[in-house]
Amino acid sequence: MFVALSVCAQHTNAASRQAEEGSGHRSAGNLVTDEVGRQVSIPAKVNRIVTLSPDLTETIYALGLDDKLAGDSNYCETPPAAKLKPHVGAPLNPSLEAIVALHPDLVLASTSINRRETVDALARLGIAVYASDPHTVRGMLDSVRKMSELMGSSAAGEALVGPLQARLDDLRMRLSELPLAHVFFVVWQEPLISIGQNTFIADALRWAGAESVMLSDQNWPHISFEEVVRLQPDYIVFTSNHGGEGETQLADLRARAGWKGLRAVESGNVVVVSDELARPSPGMVNAIEQLARELHPEAFSPQSTNGKFVSRSRDQFARRASPEEGCVLCAR
Amino acid sequence: MRPLTSRRVFNVCALLIGVLFVLVVISLRMGAYPIAVRDILMTLINGALGRRDQIPSEFSLVVFGLRLPRIALGILVGAALSTAGAGFQALLRNPLADPYVLGVSSGAALGAIVSLIVLPFTPGAVQVAAFAGAAATIGAVYFLGRRGGQLDSATLLLAGIITASFLSAVIMFLMTILSSRDLRGMAFWLMGDLSSAPAVDLRWLYLLLIVAVGSIYTTSSDLNLILTGEQEASHLGVNVRRVKFVVYVGASLLTGLAVSVSGAIGYVGLLVPHVMRMLFGTDYRVLIPASAIGGAIIVVAADLLARTVVAPTELPVGAMTAIAGAPVFIYLMRRRVR
Repeated sequence: MFVALSVCAQHTNAASRQAEEGSGHRSAGNLVTDEVGRQVSIPAKVNRIVTLSPDLTETIYALGLDDKLAGDSNYCETPPAAKLKPHVGAPLNPSLEAIVALHPDLVLASTSINRRETVDALARLGIAVYASDPHTVRGMLDSVRKMSELMGSSAAGEALVGPLQARLDDLRMRLSELPLAHVFFVVWQEPLISIGQNTFIADALRWAGAESVMLSDQNWPHISFEEVVRLQPDYIVFTSNHGGEGETQLADLRARAGWKGLRAVESGNVVVVSDELARPSPGMVNAIEQLARELHPEAFSPQSTNGKFVSRSRDQFARRASPEEGCVLCAR
Repeated sequence: MRPLTSRRVFNVCALLIGVLFVLVVISLRMGAYPIAVRDILMTLINGALGRRDQIPSEFSLVVFGLRLPRIALGILVGAALSTAGAGFQALLRNPLADPYVLGVSSGAALGAIVSLIVLPFTPGAVQVAAFAGAAATIGAVYFLGRRGGQLDSATLLLAGIITASFLSAVIMFLMTILSSRDLRGMAFWLMGDLSSAPAVDLRWLYLLLIVAVGSIYTTSSDLNLILTGEQEASHLGVNVRRVKFVVYVGASLLTGLAVSVSGAIGYVGLLVPHVMRMLFGTDYRVLIPASAIGGAIIVVAADLLARTVVAPTELPVGAMTAIAGAPVFIYLMRRRVR
């Protein structure tokens, strides 16, 4: 046992030496600072990428780099092709071995769902890990641009981010004159969880011409239903991961004690948007547009206000296993 | 009961070490990264002979960088927890005593959470803070648990239980009001987890382990006498106070050590000493080394399951020990009743 132990200890030293040599050897690669302030040496040529969170996987696909995606997390389900990639485990506790086995040149992690411990452990093994830390929609787009550069595809990054930026600018122009809609965003129903002011969802709401009525420094505050009654939001916003019957969510709420007495429910102001809103990836802009059209139909041309973008469903959260997971899905 | 000879102690230890060795080889073999047994053995032999250049770098990374440190950590934690459990069970003369009953794990968890708030992501800070939290709790419970200047087992147990629930409530409070911080690691911490190896040299921790287990072992003949009654023991010339102090400090140190590197892995400290008692008798001279090695076996086995049953996702090892430990405990308890 002690032999083994000292072998381990020697190895740790050897590994760090190797890592140093490695970075020296890879001087062709670039030393960058990631979004949590870590120094990362990234190889000049990135051919194998492993993503540890669903939003980053979506970003890779949106950039058209999926042929370089060697593996992703168990939660990566969009686009459907991502399910076929080798999985390395759940984002909170992936298997380090499984990641090593995929020989990645670069591992992408997100503070929205991954643990810093995982990032540090991979770094100790000499694997390049870039941690993204998106807090706003703009921040997400910057992050996408930065990551595309690291992967040697800045052109693809520009081609993706440019139009998204233009769509956001267009939204801002259309909505600039309109009053903000006061919405209550539901992350989870039982227990009732909403969003804090510093989350990217709160920022996305602002782009859609809305404002969260919850004022909280906590990111995912558990709140009492009384608070919702007191706040009397104009709209209640849910997310759903699949389109479905439009009116079921509303019908559900109308049948529930408490909820049915809310002004927003009485007047039918219940909106269900794509759950892309809950992931800091390029698809978020679709969900923002969808929400803007729902909340401010007058700002868009008549034919696009018929509500075909709306998808509502009763079992919107049924696929999610637990409140914690729900929280994590839209974390930060 | 057969008289205990040093030969018997040696045989028991050799048997358990054999089991542990087989388990370590199996553990090295299993995992998300497939390696054949032959390659494992070659890697180990080359590694032990210092011929590092002959090992494929990836094997070296997986075997020496990931699996071996994790197994070494599991052995450390398991040995520490079950020796502490055996010590506390003797000290409190209560079969339900375990390393966490005195609030040690809650104190360590509170230390860890405070360090995540004050010094986020400083290597080693969580371990140091957890150890400090554990030590502070142990000290507090020690003073609360005395009656008339003497350690009183009922008072000590009550003080521990109350302290534990108070500290857990403080942790819940902190986790709720600080939900904007990255405290996701805490969930694993509270459950007990070996997946993120601490940035601390394991050799120092092993040194601490050996010192603490050794000092508890030196009291083992006295513990046998104390178990028949403190009065009787002191009549026979045992310094009961000193023995209690040594066992209390040693077991607390071991618990703090284990909790600070792995979080609160439950049931090991409670169950392993009971199982060892059933297998090898109640004599502390064999029970303490047997518990140490047995605990290592259980934690390494549980961690092997934790990282393979739902691979590539990993379960917290504490979930494994609780799933297996609770039914075994109930079985043992029912057997005792009959």
